[in-house]
Amino acid sequence: MRTRLALVGVAALAAALALLFGGAFEHEAAARGGDVLPPAIAEQLQRGFAAGATAALVAGLQGELRVQPSAKAYGTLGLAYEQRARETGDATFYGRAERALRRALALHPNDLNALAGLGQLALARHQFRHALTLGRAARRVSPTTAGVYGIVGDAQLELGRYRQAFTAFDRMATLKPSVASYARVSYARELLGDVRGAEQAMALAVSAAAGQREAAAWTRTQLGLLLLSSGRPAAAEREAQRALLVFPGYHLALDALAQAEAAQGRLATALRHERAAVARIPLPQYVGFLGDLERATGHPARARGQYELIRVIERLLAANGVRNDLDIALFDVDHGIRLRHALELARRGYRERPSIVGDDVLGWALARNGRCGEALPYARRALRLGTRDAVKEFHRGYVEACLGHRAAARTWYRRALALNPHFSILWAPVARKGALR
Amino acid sequence: MKRLVVLAGLLAALVLPAAASAHPLGNFTVNRFARVQVSGHTLYVRYVLDMAEIPTYQARQQGVGAGVYALRIARGLRLTVDDAPARLVPVRRTLAFPAGAAGLHTLRLEVVLRGPEVTGSTRVTVDDRNEPDRLGWREVVVGAHAPSVSDELRAYPKSLLSSPLRVTRASAVLRPTSDPPPPLTRGPALRAPDRVADSGFATLIARRDLSGLVLLGSLAAALFWGAAHALSPGHGKTIVTAYLVGQRGTPRHAALLGLIVTATHTVGVFALGLVTLALSQFVVPDRLYPWLNLTAGALVVSVGLAVLRQRVAEWRHDRAHRTGLHLHVHGHVHDHTDFSRRGLLAVGISGGLLPCPSALVVLLAAISLHRLAFGLVLILAFSVGLAAAITGVGLLAVLAKRTFARRSFEGPLVRALPVASALVILVFGLVMSAHALPELA
Repeated sequence: MRTRLALVGVAALAAALALLFGGAFEHEAAARGGDVLPPAIAEQLQRGFAAGATAALVAGLQGELRVQPSAKAYGTLGLAYEQRARETGDATFYGRAERALRRALALHPNDLNALAGLGQLALARHQFRHALTLGRAARRVSPTTAGVYGIVGDAQLELGRYRQAFTAFDRMATLKPSVASYARVSYARELLGDVRGAEQAMALAVSAAAGQREAAAWTRTQLGLLLLSSGRPAAAEREAQRALLVFPGYHLALDALAQAEAAQGRLATALRHERAAVARIPLPQYVGFLGDLERATGHPARARGQYELIRVIERLLAANGVRNDLDIALFDVDHGIRLRHALELARRGYRERPSIVGDDVLGWALARNGRCGEALPYARRALRLGTRDAVKEFHRGYVEACLGHRAAARTWYRRALALNPHFSILWAPVARKGALR
Repeated sequence: MKRLVVLAGLLAALVLPAAASAHPLGNFTVNRFARVQVSGHTLYVRYVLDMAEIPTYQARQQGVGAGVYALRIARGLRLTVDDAPARLVPVRRTLAFPAGAAGLHTLRLEVVLRGPEVTGSTRVTVDDRNEPDRLGWREVVVGAHAPSVSDELRAYPKSLLSSPLRVTRASAVLRPTSDPPPPLTRGPALRAPDRVADSGFATLIARRDLSGLVLLGSLAAALFWGAAHALSPGHGKTIVTAYLVGQRGTPRHAALLGLIVTATHTVGVFALGLVTLALSQFVVPDRLYPWLNLTAGALVVSVGLAVLRQRVAEWRHDRAHRTGLHLHVHGHVHDHTDFSRRGLLAVGISGGLLPCPSALVVLLAAISLHRLAFGLVLILAFSVGLAAAITGVGLLAVLAKRTFARRSFEGPLVRALPVASALVILVFGLVMSAHALPELA
């Protein structure tokens, strides 16, 4: 699940990141700001980013704004801050980005950068409907800018409007082939169950990202996660290592590396790398996986410590106004914590985010609460796009087994294991046992 | 019963005003500040570590002591004196857990590190290699009087046109000075004024223009905040009510009580302010809070016990009357009024003894802004507001009791009321004391 979620849940991850850092926002999948910009500024930013000189660019814009404030400069500064946040993981920059973008919008109500930048922030906050509005406003301002279709499409995706989302992505890729559009094409193909096609698109994204440190590391990591989710952990590990080569200490790559190592049974090194990722940025999913690794290596007390830390992080997220009900519900259901409460959370999350992620988590929560009859339609809907995802397939099998459909359960378990025998430290063993029954 | 729970957290009253805002730099940052200076002939580094909520939680989970952190800091700081590496030894430190977001805590650790002796002009380089990958503010300054952009991690710049600082290295030529060794922050200032000072009352002192109207407005606001503060948990509303009800208090008693509370609170704030300013080398005001809590608790317990004893005696006396066995002796009426005054004093003192932290912040800010008179007046107004609210609650209790008593003369309920109220006072006193005790360790 974690693997697959890694791409879908970039938004979740981003939100978590954002929240954690006190009112910051990110949407990695939507994050390639360069596409949204008018060409001249885009080039300027690109050059700056490519040279790893965003900091210098930011300083230049700050100086310019002190002398002469303008909507354009504020908008560009906002996007540059978002890029700084991605490079450093320091979410303080997101808060600054938002304020800069708002100021740009105040100076010029139809500023494209400002609309698009705020759209990305809304995505990260899980305000998908709001993001859609902002994305559409940006599209009205400039219907030929590729980036605005990314925002519109991402929002539609999370709202479960897949056909519209894919159309938006198509348009985006036609307007401008880029890291951002290739990454989205890859994700769309993955959702539709075209694993190889998804890899090819991501490989294109990797080559398009050449020379941009953070983008290169991000695309490599995503490629690695794709490989991992289709049961090729050794290849996934290589991609994560390459990402770390271009961007040492990159938290997403460290986490992917740990997952790949764990899938190959090298739990000690996995533990070390996941710890490094958590030390860099304690996202709930990193901390959860670290806890699972501690448990798997025979340190239940340390695992409990990590699980408690998750509660603390979630409290902080909630205090910052972030709704990540689906993620909390998934974690609780996976770990058998407060199952009835988790079901409530899943229902609430589903209303906010009626996508296949919502279907999957709600179905899984129902099943673990013993309400398998109700769970089945959701488990079916979670796979309605034909997505190949070992975790969702396992959940489907679990529901079937619970309803006494032995043959169907066996089939789904085998399917999941054939795709990725190490899809979860906790649940893959259950699937293996069930497949033999 | 719920009130009891609320009141039990007398400490919460201390924490609440500060709990409003999160860490200014995000919940996961670890922020570091180092000041290199020569005092006399000795090189010192004053090091401040400011952890946001999550790292603080992790640190507490791992149970690493402040001493260990101080040693780690010393190891991570690379010091070279005239191009030769030199050692830093932690000599003093202080630790506090300011309140953060979501009811969590942050951490502020200050360490004074001693380096080698410096004789003449010496090139000193310091390089902070502590946790280079952690997110957060990093600042190194040289010289005892060099300005700090973040006010030593107390107030992070919030301007849109500035980026978080990331300075980990500094180098300068230093020579012996007559500066004193670097100090440690003491008392409430350690509790992150950046966050505490945001409370409504504390902002009053920082008003820029002080025209007559603003002055009056500020006083009215101080009154209001005092009253609001009295209505927050703690400050003995329940005890006052129980006492007045139990002791057949009159409106005069309630007013007297208000006066005592005002006087105690004003004197308490000034005293604690003085201690903070003058005696911070010897006493840490933070350490005083639990003692004050305990004193207030003990006072309340003694009042409760005395009232209870008296009630039981009276009850026996009444029963003796009814059973006709009573022999009229000694003037216990006189005894009664005498006790009442002492009890009133004790209850009033226990209600005002605990200085409100934002009042303390005002006092300290007033001193640093050279607005002492204004600060004193503000605090007085705050105390008056506090007392007015408590008196109001007391009056309400007295009047309610009278109405109640008029309806059902000498019913069993009315007779039981004094004993019950004595018990309530006793229990509260015990709870207050019990909460203060673990803090003393």
